[in-house]
Amino acid sequence: MSSRAASRWTDGSMGKRVAKRYAAERRFRLFGLAAVGLSLAFLAFLLITMLMKGIGGLSLEFLSNSDATEAANAGVWGALKGSLLTILVTMAIAFPIGVLSALYLEEFAPRNRWTDLIEVSINNLAAVPSIIFGLLGLAVFLNFMHLPRSAPLVGGLTLALMTMPVIVIAGRNAIKSVPPSIRDAALGVGASKMQVVFHHVLPLALPGILTGTIIGMARALGETAPLLMIGMRAFIATPPRGITDPSSVLPVQIFLWSDEVDRAFVEKTSAAIIVLLIFMLLMNGLAIYLRNKFERRW
Amino acid sequence: MIDTLIPTPTDTAEPAVEERTPKMSARDVKVFYGAKEALKGVSIDIHDDRVTAFIGPSGCGKSTFLRCLNRMNDTIPSARVTGTIELDGEDINSAAMDVVQLRARVGMVFQKPNPFPKSIFENVAYGPRIHGLAENKSELEAIVEKSLKRAGLWDEVKDRLNESGTALSGGQQQRLCIARAIAVDPEVILMDEPCSALDPIATAKIEELIHELRGRYAIAIVTHNMQQAARVSQRTAFFHLGEMVEYGKTSDIFTNPREQRTQDYITGRYG
Repeated sequence: MSSRAASRWTDGSMGKRVAKRYAAERRFRLFGLAAVGLSLAFLAFLLITMLMKGIGGLSLEFLSNSDATEAANAGVWGALKGSLLTILVTMAIAFPIGVLSALYLEEFAPRNRWTDLIEVSINNLAAVPSIIFGLLGLAVFLNFMHLPRSAPLVGGLTLALMTMPVIVIAGRNAIKSVPPSIRDAALGVGASKMQVVFHHVLPLALPGILTGTIIGMARALGETAPLLMIGMRAFIATPPRGITDPSSVLPVQIFLWSDEVDRAFVEKTSAAIIVLLIFMLLMNGLAIYLRNKFERRW
Repeated sequence: MIDTLIPTPTDTAEPAVEERTPKMSARDVKVFYGAKEALKGVSIDIHDDRVTAFIGPSGCGKSTFLRCLNRMNDTIPSARVTGTIELDGEDINSAAMDVVQLRARVGMVFQKPNPFPKSIFENVAYGPRIHGLAENKSELEAIVEKSLKRAGLWDEVKDRLNESGTALSGGQQQRLCIARAIAVDPEVILMDEPCSALDPIATAKIEELIHELRGRYAIAIVTHNMQQAARVSQRTAFFHLGEMVEYGKTSDIFTNPREQRTQDYITGRYG
């Protein structure tokens, strides 16, 4: 009896099963590698073609000039500055409001039908196509509030509407993942609800909240459609001096140049894409640096 | 008159309610989670020169009762507490009692060591700081040192107060939590199975510490380790299925229990 049980591990059929298992493992690794390779290949293709076409267009003049009718004089500075101002407005509005909403919903709001409804609405809002937010911005900020057309202020507000739900969702998840034992510990020494939230929960949730904000901001930075709706597609030859001046933004500028008949704009388009990608890379780098700085382990 | 408030004991040799003024007294405390009655009318006195242990099998309501004493159950939305609990004769559930102040007076140590992910110093200094107990930095440092000494941790950490509290061993973390609790100078310390996550050596240190803290603070400890209750406490309450079955001198509970259920539990028939 015992000898039969022992031989089961050493006879041929076991060897075959083990070999099958190893084969499955090798197959999985191969498919995984292929999937990663495919997406990397597309990225490499984009970078290489953009660099080949656009690197010649990158010059100090290109970076310091604004849009022009002549391809030779056209530069990206106006759009770059517009993007920067727009994203600052978005950040200034969406981050505090998003974080406060997440904190309120997670820590203070009672659990009832209304908060359930709000939760569903916010999740839906995050999935609404961006063009709809453009129409909303047009209706509310331009037609109703009469804010200046084509301005980074309005662009920023519109993108803030779009980014806020993303920040709220990421923020709530980050707040939820703070261990309850930390809240107990703070309550146990007599901290008030506000002190628990602002001394302990928020600092511990901040890395997660920042991750969500990075994703939202990156999406906002590359967004084109809603900005077209609020008039940021106008031809503007002077860089904006403030958030109420008419302005363009990088992705819209790329869209406009790619539509030009003049062949000379192809180089400009590629160069502008390179500038946009570098801008995004810098922003994400900063955000990741901040996130790691605030990250704590327990 | 008081006797009518006590549900179970018929023998008055060691009543749950004593003549002496207790530090905390609970009368007919019931806790409901939604419609479920988790605690069915508990009356206990806690005195300030003793360690009171709550024993009983899992889910018997002993932790639930402990958490009533500093209103930690307030944080559970579905929990409802009835009955009266008094601290020095003041009803802790009344509108006049500030829950934040109550929790400073009735400190708590939890089952799993839960230091803040901050430095050792900051962990202990947090309570005194939010309550404004120190005028300046040197006073704060004095409080931290005194608390860590009382918690028997000072010699192990005095050279690394700026290191993270979470980098300590489990037993050290739990003593840090005790130091954090006593830094705000509470009158009562509640301990919810403080040793259940610790090894025997760390457990022995905590038990030794409880002996040293006795007399300075009223201590109530929940434990499912009967030997521990026998070692550290002077009074023991036995809980079963949400009821307090028996409360008395620890020596009586373990050697001469009045109730059959207590007898069965301490001899290991169930639990």
